[in-house]
Amino acid sequence: MDEFPNFDRAWLPYIYLYGVGGIFFLGGMFLIFKSKACNWARVSHRRWAKVLIFGYCWYATLHGVQIYAALNI
Amino acid sequence: MLSLLKQHVAQNGSDVAAAAAADAGSSPIFWFIVLGYFAVVLGFGSYFAKFNKSTSDFFFGGRRFSWWLITMSIVATGVGSHSFLKYSGKSFEHGFSGSMAYMNDWFFMPLFIFGWLPIIYYMKVRSIPEYFERRFNAKVRALATGVLLMYMLGYVGIGLLTMAKTLGPILGDTWSLMEIIWIVAVVAGVYITFGGQTAVIFTDLLQGFILLFAGILLFVLGLNWFGGFDAFWNTLPAEFKLPLSNFNDDPGFNFVGIFWQDAVAGSIGFLFMNQGLVMRFLACRSVDHGRKAAAFNILFALPISAIAVSCAGWIGYGMMTQDPTLVAPDTDPDEVFVIVTRILTTKAGFGFFVAAVTAALMSTVDTLINAISAVFLNDVYQPINKMRGVEHNDKHHLKVAMIASAAATVVGVGAAWAFSLFDNLYEAHGFFHSTFTPPLVACIFMGIFWRRFNTNGAIATFLAGTVMIILGRMLPYELIEPIAHGVPTTDPETGEALTTPFKYIGALYNLLACFGSGIIVTLLTSRDNKNLEGLTMFSLTAARKMFKGSAPNDAIGFPQTVTYKLDATLPEGAIRMDSEAMQHLAAEQGDLAYICDKRKWLGGLRSAHGHFDGMHDLGETVLLSQDVYDNGHFLAGKLLVVEKEF
Repeated sequence: MDEFPNFDRAWLPYIYLYGVGGIFFLGGMFLIFKSKACNWARVSHRRWAKVLIFGYCWYATLHGVQIYAALNI
Repeated sequence: MLSLLKQHVAQNGSDVAAAAAADAGSSPIFWFIVLGYFAVVLGFGSYFAKFNKSTSDFFFGGRRFSWWLITMSIVATGVGSHSFLKYSGKSFEHGFSGSMAYMNDWFFMPLFIFGWLPIIYYMKVRSIPEYFERRFNAKVRALATGVLLMYMLGYVGIGLLTMAKTLGPILGDTWSLMEIIWIVAVVAGVYITFGGQTAVIFTDLLQGFILLFAGILLFVLGLNWFGGFDAFWNTLPAEFKLPLSNFNDDPGFNFVGIFWQDAVAGSIGFLFMNQGLVMRFLACRSVDHGRKAAAFNILFALPISAIAVSCAGWIGYGMMTQDPTLVAPDTDPDEVFVIVTRILTTKAGFGFFVAAVTAALMSTVDTLINAISAVFLNDVYQPINKMRGVEHNDKHHLKVAMIASAAATVVGVGAAWAFSLFDNLYEAHGFFHSTFTPPLVACIFMGIFWRRFNTNGAIATFLAGTVMIILGRMLPYELIEPIAHGVPTTDPETGEALTTPFKYIGALYNLLACFGSGIIVTLLTSRDNKNLEGLTMFSLTAARKMFKGSAPNDAIGFPQTVTYKLDATLPEGAIRMDSEAMQHLAAEQGDLAYICDKRKWLGGLRSAHGHFDGMHDLGETVLLSQDVYDNGHFLAGKLLVVEKEF
């Protein structure tokens, strides 16, 4: 662990995680709306849809900040 | 103590962990803490035994608990017996990325929260194999039952063996491996057999707190050793601090393989195929509370758990860079947790950490034993009796469930004994797990989200999927390498070919094999002539209606705080309130109700479900039928809160 990590080492896994993982996530979101399992007309379902999007952003931010901190702080 | 440890490192190298542990094991305070912990756990079992009046109580805790209680119990279940040792070791070797498996579970949450969870809850699916029969047929159910039971029993054995191996160095030569296994198994077996799911949830709540507290305490002690967070942070090299590992350079630990094995296959397996977890979510008071439990667990509890189980590795690495005589660079990663813990704590403190590791085991094993009992009763005992034309009441089934729990514990001990004798059995279980769980996972997944997926497809997923997985093992270069994302097949240090290449990325091949088999056969065969109402995510409205027995009422009302009276003349499951309360609740005749002790910190322990049946003119009082009163375990003089469900 002597060499300073380059872009591929630091950010490629991140892009893959939230890119390919994002496809699964968005696919899931598409399915729950298409199937009407998540009904936007219901208040609680709207809230849960927002929580789901928040969760994705939360982890993307958490990992992003960690990588930035590892490289710069 | 530090000088002693340094001396051990100099003289014995990696034996320092055993020496440190044995040193703590000679302390009476250490034993007081460990035995005290066992006593508390056993006390939980005997206390909660009184809450078990039916199989619904025994397996699902009466479907009464609040989300926070379930969240903490899931934390304890998720942190396995080997987690502290394994993730500390991985983190010592690979840095912060050693625990990345704890922080990649969100991608399938939409499908879990709005798909699988409401399906199992509203359709009252008591076990995963039962879903297979309802969705496909009895043959698929039998297939799933066999695979699940073998997998879970083997896992209990592995858990017990891991625990014994962890405690072994601490106990020295006075206790044999099997004696340790029997003691842990008896303690776990007793409280599960008598206390059921309620005891499991409350014991796991306690154990969840112990686990997290112990891990975070260790981290704080470690930071203190360095002189603060800044000093600790600056000790570590940049690459060590990266949260995700190298993309594909290292065949033994690479990001892309772990992504497919853990973030995809592991996450789906954990959320959709884990019978213990399914039962835990069914113990929630409502689907919404199940959603909250899952979301809170993944968003907040898992990152905290990652710190708790991995920090010893980070601290150990930092110590090694500062003082290689304290933690040697060639330290066995599996021993880092014990070494760091002993450096940072007193003998009594070490006892507490041993209790935490024990808690990690117990909370995994108790969930598995309860789950095995549920699968045995629901998918073996009852179907066989049905075939024989024999009928038993729920009281009889409760007895069978308890006997099955005790038997599962004994069989688990037997499996641990077998694993301890033959290394190849341990490997065989690993092979079994990696070969048979992908077909199960694929079947559930396609069953829920693809209406066209049929019984032929499900059987093909099992059989053809399994054959393809075995072929992948035999011909890795031909079948897996083309999709291996460039993961090398040689040892980076020696340059020699690996005996088991594609350790992680093989999961991608397994998933493709299973999903591919299921999709192809489904498309080539005709649709099932079967009513799938409520069994796929396309018919959840029907599932809610079936759960309630009439159209759901989603009008928003407000919970009412009331006193209560027993009215034995009310029909089964009924409660009755005055018209004003019904108006505030926005409730109508036949709507489902949740009645709970006002004290929220009980987490729903004293609560019950019922339905609104007529009105009275007694003011702020709820009348309860005999069964609602019995199920609620309400205390005299305490206020209740009544909520309309839907």
